[in-house]
Amino acid sequence: MKRIETDILVIGGGATGTGVAWDAALRGFRVVLVEKRDLTHGTTGRYHGLLHSGGRYVVKDPHSAAECIAENRILRKTHAHCIEDTGGFFVVTPEDDNDYPDRFHAACQRLGIPCEEISVAEALKREPLLNPRARRVFVVPDAAADSFQATHSTAQAARHAGARILTYHEVVQLIAEGSDGARRVVGARVRDVARGEDVEIRAAMTINAAGAWAGQIARTIGVRVDVIPGKGTMIAVNHRIINTVLNRCKMPADGDIIVPIHTVSVLGTTDVHVQDPEHLTIEPWEVELLLREGEQLIPGVRRARFVRAWAGVRPLYQEHYSGATRDVTRDFTLLDHHTRDGVAGFLTIIGGKWTTFRLMAQVTMDKACEYLGTCKPCLTATTPVPGAEHGHYWLGHRLREVEEHHLQNELVCECELVTRTMLENAARNNPTLTLDDLRRDVRLGMGPCQGGFCTYRAVGILHELKDEGRKTNDEGETWEVATMQSPAHNQRSAISGQRSPLAISPFTNSNLLLRDFLQERWKGLLPILWGQQLKQERLDELIYLALMNADHLPDKDARSPMSDFYARPGVVTTADHRPSVGIEEARDE
Amino acid sequence: MSDVIVIGAGLAGLMAAYYAARAGERVKIVAKGLGATHWHAGTVDVLGYYPTAATPVARPLDTLRDLTRAQPQHPYALADGALDRALQDFVTLMQEVGLPYAGATSTGDNLWLPSPLGVARPTFLAPRAQRAGDLSRPEPMLIVGFQGWRDFYPTLIAENLNKQGHRARAELLPLDLISARRDVNTVQLATALDDPARVESLAAALRKVVQPGERIGLPAILGLDAHVTTLERLETQVGAPIFEIPTLPPSVPGIRLTNALRNRLRQLGVRIEINADVIGFRAEGDRVMWIESEASGRPLKHRAEKFILATGGILGGGINSDHTGKVWEVIFNLPLVAPANRGQWFRAHFFDPEGHPIFRAGVAVDREFQPIDARGARVFTNVWAVGNVLAHCDPVRERSLEGIALATARCALTIDH
Repeated sequence: MKRIETDILVIGGGATGTGVAWDAALRGFRVVLVEKRDLTHGTTGRYHGLLHSGGRYVVKDPHSAAECIAENRILRKTHAHCIEDTGGFFVVTPEDDNDYPDRFHAACQRLGIPCEEISVAEALKREPLLNPRARRVFVVPDAAADSFQATHSTAQAARHAGARILTYHEVVQLIAEGSDGARRVVGARVRDVARGEDVEIRAAMTINAAGAWAGQIARTIGVRVDVIPGKGTMIAVNHRIINTVLNRCKMPADGDIIVPIHTVSVLGTTDVHVQDPEHLTIEPWEVELLLREGEQLIPGVRRARFVRAWAGVRPLYQEHYSGATRDVTRDFTLLDHHTRDGVAGFLTIIGGKWTTFRLMAQVTMDKACEYLGTCKPCLTATTPVPGAEHGHYWLGHRLREVEEHHLQNELVCECELVTRTMLENAARNNPTLTLDDLRRDVRLGMGPCQGGFCTYRAVGILHELKDEGRKTNDEGETWEVATMQSPAHNQRSAISGQRSPLAISPFTNSNLLLRDFLQERWKGLLPILWGQQLKQERLDELIYLALMNADHLPDKDARSPMSDFYARPGVVTTADHRPSVGIEEARDE
Repeated sequence: MSDVIVIGAGLAGLMAAYYAARAGERVKIVAKGLGATHWHAGTVDVLGYYPTAATPVARPLDTLRDLTRAQPQHPYALADGALDRALQDFVTLMQEVGLPYAGATSTGDNLWLPSPLGVARPTFLAPRAQRAGDLSRPEPMLIVGFQGWRDFYPTLIAENLNKQGHRARAELLPLDLISARRDVNTVQLATALDDPARVESLAAALRKVVQPGERIGLPAILGLDAHVTTLERLETQVGAPIFEIPTLPPSVPGIRLTNALRNRLRQLGVRIEINADVIGFRAEGDRVMWIESEASGRPLKHRAEKFILATGGILGGGINSDHTGKVWEVIFNLPLVAPANRGQWFRAHFFDPEGHPIFRAGVAVDREFQPIDARGARVFTNVWAVGNVLAHCDPVRERSLEGIALATARCALTIDH
């Protein structure tokens, strides 16, 4: 078995885990991070993209709110390029409590969260689709955050500082030594999913940042961590109906926020306690609730075209859990298993929000330093990650670059303005097992056609690169995350002569890439498929069935490590249990 | 005033207009857009898979007998026998207009042609330009594409053809052999190849890469208005059989087909109004009097004795739906056959061979192809429905899109052919 020695082993490639790896590497430790799928595949890549001002928690959980505003200010510098400075409104709709707004305003002032009340007329001037019956509107420094790009940039910064980031490496078992009362975690046995091999990683300190999966990790050595997976469902409108984050000004509840992010606007969220963090199936009532509540902020939103629905699982944690998940703290918790369970060398960081990931990493590494007997200071608050020098992104940046540099012929995904060279460079420079991984890198297939045109093109382009030579998924060393997002920085002429090899795993098969991605996109469409998007989907069927005959591609039995995940139902449906001729009886009334 | 108004300009609408005009009616086509013909392969698919997408069909007209027994409400069953004659009519018509179509060498068999992924795809009639792609022929194939062009991938096609036992290899030629534009799609490339000079430079490049005995597969961009001469010229200059493989939309073979039919219809005196979105109608008793289309100023009324609905299904925009699970026919609000609620619309797998129940939703008709309600009664005495708007079939899953369009178009108006 392959063995790796390191100081710090981090488990989990979400915001928190990559944050810990970055923090630890900057402090000078040797670091290895393992993630069972792609970076951000878990909860980080499945949230609405809000950089909190703290306003949301200011009345209910002032401690969290204070952390949020402090981290908001830091991330705007360290991860500037991952943030669109949209600002946020807290809107009092006719449905909302009359007393809450004053408490909200006073609490913001107490915590130093900039909060200015503007007239409804002014708010309507800035956001014309806002409910004109709104009674009061407050402006706060909320923003939109690209959690894919931010996590990749954090990981890149960690790599630059010497960390190894191993995606598609799943923990099989923590390795504990010693007997009861004096046990010590000395690393983990992990499975390299792409190669099907096990790897033993030995570490002085193991940090469990697996989020909603943290309980499963701890359980491998019999340590109990009660994570409460709280499933939240979101749906995306096909364009930017708003340019400011809209929150309801009331105690946090279901369906009370709309975030404008990149080309879409995201309605969120629900909160459902689930047993299994992999349980991401959406119930029809969740979509109905989001539409109904969304109407309070944007009247008529239910008639908009939706392109996508998805669910993420919040890693909520409480030592003594009872009742509904919405009341569980949004604060984070560091579990010191030495004092808590008599297991040394092992910390679990759990809970929190994307906005506080850096702080969570800092607190975790401060504790780790105590145990490792060093007191290296945390540097993350003052060290921008690569790309931050570009400043905040804005909605039009790709279009401007495509037009300035005449890259129209290069467009592979016309919805999200992904060029061929962006895709090629992402595939060369990033560990890639599926097209979904490339989607997270460059936004492939995230627009209105949901992969209708670009799936075929991406598969064809990767096929043309196939013979260039490949490397496997833990050796991609030359990421340039910020430039990966930019059409202008990915021009043919600029890269000729010094191409790095393709980072696609050796077993990757074009037909499998195509089938996996079409199924992955289909899954996220089902909950919101009606009207114009249903018409679009029928066009995608025409292309992939009638024109391409992709349901009869060779290599029928080929499977990727992700195939089963994509095959799980995206929404509760009864059609699978009914013969298709059954519709003859079900006439429209 | 027209005798007949056809709503929709896809294959079903154009052919219904053709039959009506041939029968001596004054015909007008009113259509919002150009129909699914522009998105598909330009072939005539009759029945590729049955009873589900898991089972390929060798001889569609034979298999149709099973289908007619098992699914008596399927449009093919209702059209009883019309398909065979409609296919003959189509072949004759396309011969007349100079865009000949033919089927497999062995009459009655499905023809298997390479798809843009290199998968063998079943069809029944193909335009002359696609015929040499017939996968029952033994010659090895050279699949040729253009460097950096986003809509065609010869290495992928060749690899998949080889995996299915068909010998093929790939070559990429410079795109600027055809066009130096900064933003090209299939239609612009096809237009460029209407120019004999471009054909000559392409032929010279092909001569350098082709080996004796090979046939050459190119993306379907070999000329638009001058297609027939472009193809002949290229074959002569290269000295090898050449065939087109369809591409991502817009489909040049589909556009050629539409253009050829539209020209013929104009010769027959049919008026064609495209970009006319029908937004209302007036019925008196059980007769439709007129339809209204959107126009600047005020809506424009179109009166006729008879109306043929050829708006397409969900794909063509003839059927719409909303988040409550409501599904409706957009012109006359005809009764629809559809799953009772949204929970029954889809299956979990995109490629489920049974297909998704919502895509079988449509207008139910009687044997005269006149829309009926849930009790089986005719809704209007002077309305017919044809093509993809019809219920009880899934033309994409069955690969029957054009076959259903042709067969049902022939049945409209109850013409004695």
